[in-house]
Amino acid sequence: MHVTVVSPEQGVFDGSADAIVAPAYDGQVGILPGHAPFLTLLGTGVLQVRHGSASTRFRVAGGFLQVVGAGGGGGGGGGGGGGETVRIVADRVEAS
Amino acid sequence: MAKPRELRRRIKSVQSTRKITKTMELVATSKLKRAQDRVIAARPYAAALADVIGDLYAPELAERFPLLRQPAGKSRRVALVVITANRGLCGAFNANLIREARRRIEQLEADGVGVDLHLIGKKGITYFKFAKRPAVSQRTDIGDKPRAEHAAEIVGPLMTQFASGALDAVEVVFAQFKSAVSTPPTTLRVLPIAPPRAAEDGKGRQRAVNYILKPSAEAILEQLLPLYVRNQIYRALVETAAAFLGAQRTAMKNATDNAGDIIELLQRTYNRARQAQITQELAEIVGGAEALKG
Repeated sequence: MHVTVVSPEQGVFDGSADAIVAPAYDGQVGILPGHAPFLTLLGTGVLQVRHGSASTRFRVAGGFLQVVGAGGGGGGGGGGGGGETVRIVADRVEAS
Repeated sequence: MAKPRELRRRIKSVQSTRKITKTMELVATSKLKRAQDRVIAARPYAAALADVIGDLYAPELAERFPLLRQPAGKSRRVALVVITANRGLCGAFNANLIREARRRIEQLEADGVGVDLHLIGKKGITYFKFAKRPAVSQRTDIGDKPRAEHAAEIVGPLMTQFASGALDAVEVVFAQFKSAVSTPPTTLRVLPIAPPRAAEDGKGRQRAVNYILKPSAEAILEQLLPLYVRNQIYRALVETAAAFLGAQRTAMKNATDNAGDIIELLQRTYNRARQAQITQELAEIVGGAEALKG
């Protein structure tokens, strides 16, 4: 799946990933390929983007996380294709 | 005709001016590149935010969010944020922004609306001080590199006032950065929020329904709307900073070209004056020799 992380000032990350662990407003949320279209608020914490054995970490605060299906929107409802895009739009982002 | 020594002095002075304007042009060019990158880098965030808000927005929600509240009837008080540069030497850049601000103020006041001025940048502050128009707030600490926090500091109190009903609208006057040479001064209404692509086709709303939303569309909107307002101010700041550097580069390029023209003209006058002096001296020598012969 494709992942982008953006802050108000710039794009911070743009690449593919196997798994994401993000701090949602009410606790950690894990996103794997094939996730249903999803939109949640972010809290404050560490965002992990895993690709193979490598893992990129960011400290994020505020904003939202959005999973957009391969079709470009909702309606696809899972399917496990892994062609979806995860957008993490955070109010503050720092490399961790 | 001016004396050759006088001309030499002037040529030197214009040459050193040209050296300065040329350097300023180069500095502005390299800073412009970076400022332009910042304008472009800020786009994905703005687009993503507008996208989601456009998706979640529904007209019936408008009443529940203070930031979406359209003023009932006539506006009474509007905050106008005027962004100008801290420095000059940029042609009519600041003057254009101030003119746009004045136009908007006159327009609003003609409608009987009170205007709160919030000034950003030394040039605007100086002008409105000269015009004896008090400003509610002013700041000069935002330079070529505005940050998202700056925008938050500017618009935070305005959002609170708007939500409490003390303000009916918030507008910002800034230089839109279309390209390095096209930077029209623009007035943008940031509050009440005009929902991005206000679900005009109905498709947007359907999309939102198909998402799993946590905690809920309303709670998400409540968090994202202030971010959207803040981002609009941030973009205004970044675009004005880039536009300023573009204007400065153009102004300094013109100044450098003009200095070159003046130097050429002075050089020619100087050569003529020098030649005239030599001719005169020769004539005097010949005249003197003739006189001795006689």
